[in-house]
Amino acid sequence: MGGVAQLRLMVVLGLRSLWTHKVKTLTVGSLLFFGTFLVVVGTALLDSIESSMARSITASLAGHIQLYDADAKDPLALFGSGFMGSDDIGEIPDFAPVKAAVSAVPNVAAVVPMGIGMATISTPVELDQVFLSLREAVRDKDQARIDALAKRTRAIATDLVTEYANRAKISTDTERIAKAQADLARVLSDAFWKELEDSPELSIQFLDSHIAPLASDGRLVYLRYLGTDLDAFTRDFDRFQIVEGEEVPSGHRGMLLSKTFYEKQLKHAVARSLDRIRDKRVQGTTIAGDALLRTIARELPKQYQRITYQLDPADAGTLEGQLRELLPQVEGGLPELVQAFLAVDDANFDARYAAFYELIAPHIKLYEARPGDVITLRAFTKGGYLKSVNVRVFGVFRFSGLETSDMAGAQNLVDMMTFRELYGQMTPDKRAELADIKAKVGIEDIDRASAEDALFGGGALVEEHQDDEAGFDEFRGVDLAGQVERLREEAAAPFDQTAVDNGLALNAAVLLKDPERLDESLAAIREALDAAHLRVQATDWQSASGMVGQFITVVRLVLYIAIFIIFLVALVIINNSMIIATMERVAEIGTMRAIGARRRFVLVMFLFETGVLALLSGGLGGAAGIALITALGHSGISAGGVDIMVFLFSGPFLYPSAGIDQLLLGVTAIIVASLASTLYPALIATRIQPVVAMQQKE
Amino acid sequence: MFRTLAALAVVTAALLPAPPPARAEMTQDAMVRALKTIDDRQSNSGDYKALSFIEQKEKGKTDLLYEAVVYRRDEDDKLMILFLKPKSEAGKGYLRIDKSLFMYDPTTGKWERRTERERIGGTNSQRADFDESRLAEEYTPSWVEESKLGTMTADHLKLTAKPGADVAFPVLEIWVDQATGNMLKAQEYALSGRLMRTAYYPKWSKMFSSSKGADIYFPKEIRIFDEVEKGNQTTIVIQDVDLSSLQANMFTKAWLESKSR
Repeated sequence: MGGVAQLRLMVVLGLRSLWTHKVKTLTVGSLLFFGTFLVVVGTALLDSIESSMARSITASLAGHIQLYDADAKDPLALFGSGFMGSDDIGEIPDFAPVKAAVSAVPNVAAVVPMGIGMATISTPVELDQVFLSLREAVRDKDQARIDALAKRTRAIATDLVTEYANRAKISTDTERIAKAQADLARVLSDAFWKELEDSPELSIQFLDSHIAPLASDGRLVYLRYLGTDLDAFTRDFDRFQIVEGEEVPSGHRGMLLSKTFYEKQLKHAVARSLDRIRDKRVQGTTIAGDALLRTIARELPKQYQRITYQLDPADAGTLEGQLRELLPQVEGGLPELVQAFLAVDDANFDARYAAFYELIAPHIKLYEARPGDVITLRAFTKGGYLKSVNVRVFGVFRFSGLETSDMAGAQNLVDMMTFRELYGQMTPDKRAELADIKAKVGIEDIDRASAEDALFGGGALVEEHQDDEAGFDEFRGVDLAGQVERLREEAAAPFDQTAVDNGLALNAAVLLKDPERLDESLAAIREALDAAHLRVQATDWQSASGMVGQFITVVRLVLYIAIFIIFLVALVIINNSMIIATMERVAEIGTMRAIGARRRFVLVMFLFETGVLALLSGGLGGAAGIALITALGHSGISAGGVDIMVFLFSGPFLYPSAGIDQLLLGVTAIIVASLASTLYPALIATRIQPVVAMQQKE
Repeated sequence: MFRTLAALAVVTAALLPAPPPARAEMTQDAMVRALKTIDDRQSNSGDYKALSFIEQKEKGKTDLLYEAVVYRRDEDDKLMILFLKPKSEAGKGYLRIDKSLFMYDPTTGKWERRTERERIGGTNSQRADFDESRLAEEYTPSWVEESKLGTMTADHLKLTAKPGADVAFPVLEIWVDQATGNMLKAQEYALSGRLMRTAYYPKWSKMFSSSKGADIYFPKEIRIFDEVEKGNQTTIVIQDVDLSSLQANMFTKAWLESKSR
């Protein structure tokens, strides 16, 4: 028999066998279909997420490669390591030689210095703000402003009188309430404002220390900042977009606030609450049906002072008129009207939300800081001192495609000089100065464990002080004003690119011209750093991202384990089905063997049968997988508003895609697995002797 | 044999010198008096100025050191701390007026309201460590035991903050030297009962105050051990004290600002 005839016979026998054993064909075929479907869909989704995540991470913070201290105690984790405490990633004491060495690598497009830190900004209570303005007006002798602020202070005091009268009805601390009422009465008296003219400092001090604490406390806002070469960052991270204000001019200190931080931390508390309700309602949640929204709505009217205390008398009059028109049934003054206005429910929310931004927002400080304002960042330096730095906010930015991701918007950007000031590296001069002070005071080191014995081991506890007559002059030889002036001048001085490069950085981002050549570039950069004898290590974006970067590896591992288990089950089922099928076909195979079929023919026939089934089922499974991914690619998979998913999806939706790669991988894997599982039953079949078949027949 | 040994033990015990009788539990009045003594001794009816040094040691960090002047006008409950050194910290200050504590940074020109628990200059010291002692006014004492600190014998008292008292810690335990009546040790607890700080007062100094017409006492040295971040400690050394009258308008924001303008 010729080869073609043999092949024809094999195809006929194989297809007939598949048709004859329908149950087995269907069972095995379904498994192969599902296995291929899973491989195609799973790998396509993972590849899509990995590619989105790469875009999120590389375009927002990490670049393609990160550089940091080779002797760092902790690995770099730009989005957090997941462990408590701050990571110690060491320092790059001088960025310039690192930049020079790495920039010389052919595929490197840019090297951007960085350093992450945490600062606080305090947002004073409305009353503190009013009294601060009053103090400035008194200092500037601005009588018109003093009069306006005096009116505002009286209005606030009047409101507080009502509040404390109500408190007096329920509070047991009558002494404190009575004292507050007496203080308020003093502020409302004409004599107090006469005193302000005569001795402004003491009068304002009274307002600061007696009246301001009567209102609610201020808020401490934590601000995470990324110190960087702002020119390079805004140029090289192509997803960066200014949405309000402008970029920081070259050579100047300045800050760019992330849109997320701006909206969620710096916005007026009432506006934030309203935004939060609006955002949830857009997603289909109702105030009545959601416990959290009900709580926010219930608390809103209590925040009326956050609005009324910010209003100038003229604005207060205007707003009162507008609100009375809107809420004619409400009795009382502005405080009552604002409280009634802030009582929102599902029926009135949309109208109140629009009215808030139309009528109230223009008269209040909607953001604690806006482009053009100067904010004070307060942070602990590396040396442990508290450092405060004034920095001008130039703009608000976001990363395109990641507008709704809190994770992408976690960092605010600040220039490298401000970062270094807040980082407060301990210089040799500073160390020497501290050593001098220490020598002057002569403090002995004492161990905690033996402190009591060391401190109370004997000797006189009380000594006579000898210098009571002499006294001391603390300002002898001390030029406080000169020192402060020098610090201010240093902070205000413009700087050039050399100053940005010549100095400390904690890490640096490397952006590649061709990101596909990452591995090769990473090796070249490591070589360049070694050649320049720089103690700096290079790592790819994924490992530099910390837990976020490892997420995809973990998910991929889980998927592969799932696929492996499915394949293992399929292998066993196919194997068993084929063995049963072989046993059922002993007579047929024996007859074939009797009329001249060789063992090889039987082996190939079995493998062919399975191969055809795998190809058909796998092809169908793969096609179904591709169809599903294509459909999802059009409709998108929602991140469900979950921050990490938005970040991983590089936006609120993931639009996955599948290609020939995933299909080939799926079909090939399923064919190989099914052929492997058929091998043993096929070998059994080849051993069937014609005589056995005959005997079974008889 | 056993009887002989028992009899010997009884005889030996009888011949040994008797241990000193443990001090009887202090009465409430005696404890309040002890607190008042601590407060009165440190209070000056006139003004008070002290040249102080604050050292902060933290694990894995360079030691911090400040030179500062503490100004007090106990009559009006006013306190001010002005940092002189190091250069980078010069001109910073705190001002306490009544129950409000404000901090000033001359490089930013800004005042900030701070809480009672403010870590002065980022160290583990707090406003109360520099201020007039108000133990009797702010706390109610209860007796714990008589105990030894090194070679000193001290009365160990537990102090609970009075309702409405504006204090950094709601519970204190203090050890008062029986010989001098000065405080030797204080342990400060958070509301949860967690021990936050242990402070030692190993050296006291006294000087005659003409405005008070009596001696005033001040701790020459305070050693504060952080009980949360173990290994961190702060030492305050008061090097010089001046009881002459201060300018009338000193305790104002304007005065503190003017020193660095």
